[in-house]
Amino acid sequence: MTNITYRAVQVGDQLPKLAVDITAKLITATAIASRDYQNVHHDQDAARALGSPNIFMNILTTNGFVGRYVTDWTGALGVLKKVAIKLGAPNYPGDTMQMSGEVVAKNDVDQSVELKVIGTNDIGHHVVGEVVVVLP
Amino acid sequence: MIQKSNGLSDVECQEINLFEQELQSYIGSESGPFLSWDRVNRAMIRHWCEAMGDANPAYYHADAAAQLGAPQNAVVAPPTMMQSWTMTGFSGEHPPGSDTRESMPVMPIFDRQGYLAVVATNCEQEYLQPICEGDDINGRSSIESVSSQKTTGLGVGYFVTQLTEFRNQRDEVVGNMRFRILKYKPHSAVS
Repeated sequence: MTNITYRAVQVGDQLPKLAVDITAKLITATAIASRDYQNVHHDQDAARALGSPNIFMNILTTNGFVGRYVTDWTGALGVLKKVAIKLGAPNYPGDTMQMSGEVVAKNDVDQSVELKVIGTNDIGHHVVGEVVVVLP
Repeated sequence: MIQKSNGLSDVECQEINLFEQELQSYIGSESGPFLSWDRVNRAMIRHWCEAMGDANPAYYHADAAAQLGAPQNAVVAPPTMMQSWTMTGFSGEHPPGSDTRESMPVMPIFDRQGYLAVVATNCEQEYLQPICEGDDINGRSSIESVSSQKTTGLGVGYFVTQLTEFRNQRDEVVGNMRFRILKYKPHSAVS
């Protein structure tokens, strides 16, 4: 794992794209790993009774993927300071989430960079996120 | 305030207004601490990373974590895992020693009125210091706001925004979170 340095980053830099295959296994495994036992994340009948066509990814997992996506790029020395996400179209089994990101600001005072991260699926934007990470 | 429109009777409007007043009365009141069932540990971190496909060495190896300021022989937890440590889990109960009140006290009020479905819409987390293996995390929460009644694509309901501050065993704030949910009556079940 190589580490990105603050000096090497420019506003407008694009992060490498990441495709995440959304499966029922992924949705349930990540819900449980995040300690979220809401039935809409593991029980299709319960999800349907509440107006959803299928189980869907929980927000803690989306948050986790946004964090992972950024530190995959920075390397282990990148320190997350902020992850702020807004959810849109749910991630259902059978879909693929395409993640992309861009550097939108640099702050010399603490060597932090601000990123905009977007995850899209077949319906539209699953997540739009703002991330602040401090770089070496 | 619900205005008399969209075919609601005076009595129905009054009921909704009383309901919304009750919701507003919960704004600002703090609950907690809500403790963690487990101290921050390598097994739960690995389960998370395995499912998320996260190979960051700082989450697996103490030598990599040391570069981020972790104590000797400790790994760092993914910062985005912050909220997970204090979740109730399968039992739906917080561990002994936690505040016995609801962490989101408006939830039973919504359930009583038939707003049974919930979906999270926003999560903003700030991380003030690394959460490391061995840390014991607790959270204190308050309701920041409850919206007026909204008609959304999913159904009719309310946005509820909760603030949570997370602390460690040294009573240091490790991070904070603004979490927004929609509590709603679905338009219809999917057959």
